[in-house]
Amino acid sequence: MQTLERRIVKQKKDQRPVFLLVLTLAVLLTLNLAAVNSRLALFWIFGLAFGFVLQKSRFCFAAALRDPFITGSTSLLRAVILALILMTITFPLIQYYGLIIGNGELLGFVRPVGIHTAAGGFLFGFGMVIAGGCATGTLMRVGEGFSMQMIALGGFLIGTLWGAWDYPRWETVFIKNSPTIHLPDILGWSGAVLLQIVTLGAIFYLAKKYDERNNIML
Amino acid sequence: MAETRINCLYDNCPIPLLKAMQQLKKMSVGDTLVIETDHSCAMVNFIEWTQKNSIPCEIVEVDNGEWEIILRKVK
Repeated sequence: MQTLERRIVKQKKDQRPVFLLVLTLAVLLTLNLAAVNSRLALFWIFGLAFGFVLQKSRFCFAAALRDPFITGSTSLLRAVILALILMTITFPLIQYYGLIIGNGELLGFVRPVGIHTAAGGFLFGFGMVIAGGCATGTLMRVGEGFSMQMIALGGFLIGTLWGAWDYPRWETVFIKNSPTIHLPDILGWSGAVLLQIVTLGAIFYLAKKYDERNNIML
Repeated sequence: MAETRINCLYDNCPIPLLKAMQQLKKMSVGDTLVIETDHSCAMVNFIEWTQKNSIPCEIVEVDNGEWEIILRKVK
C-alpha cells in the first residue's frame, strides 16, 4: 500500500489532566457508593467497564440492524446474533440457578408479547437510525464528545420520560391483553435453548448469504 | 492529481462512507479524496471498506476528536 502525503496537524490539547480529574471523581464516587451500598458501587464499576468495552470494540447495535438495509453488510448483525447465541446458552443457566437455588423467582423480564412488541421495535428502529445510535451507542459517543449525539441524548431522554408517563395507558390498552410466552414452560429448558440456537443459526446463515449478495462495500 | 475535500462533520454513520463512495466514482485515477469527520465510528467503516477494496487510506487526527481520512483512487 502506497503512503499518502503528510498533513498539517494542529497542536492538540493535552487531555490527561482532565482524565486524571475524572478518574479521581469516579474513584471517590465508588468509595461513597460502597459506604452506602456495596451493590451500587458494583453497578457503577460494571457500568464504567461496559462503557470502556463498548467504546473500544465499537460494538454498535444501531449499525448492526441498519447496515443490512443501507450498505448490505451484515458483519455486525452476525456479531449480534453470535452474542445472542452465547446468551441463549448462559442466561437460562442463570435463570435456572435462580429458580432452583435462589428465591424461586424467575429472573429477567418475561413480558407479554404481541403487536405492540413489533410496533415498538419499528418506532425505536426508525428513531435509532435517524439519531445515529441506540441507547448504549449514544451514551458512548456522548462520552467521547461527539456533539451531534448530545442532541440525540436530549431527544432520547424526552422520549423515554414521555414513554414512562404514558406507559400505564399502553399497559391497559395493549400489553395486558397479550399472551405471555416463556419457551421453557412449553418445550422444557433444553428444548427451548436448542430451538433458539437452531433458529439463530439459521438467521446467521441467511445473513451471511444476504451479505454475499447485497454488500456494496465489496 | 486533483484533491477533493468533502465535509462530513456532524454526519452520522454511515453517511461519511456513502458520501465518499459517491465522490470516488466521479474522480479520476490518481486523485486524492479527503474526508473531514468528527465521528470516530467512521474510522472503523473506512478501514473495513478500504482494506476490502485495497484503496490506499491514511487517517490523521487533525485536532481533538477531528479526523481527516485521505484516500487515493487507484483503479
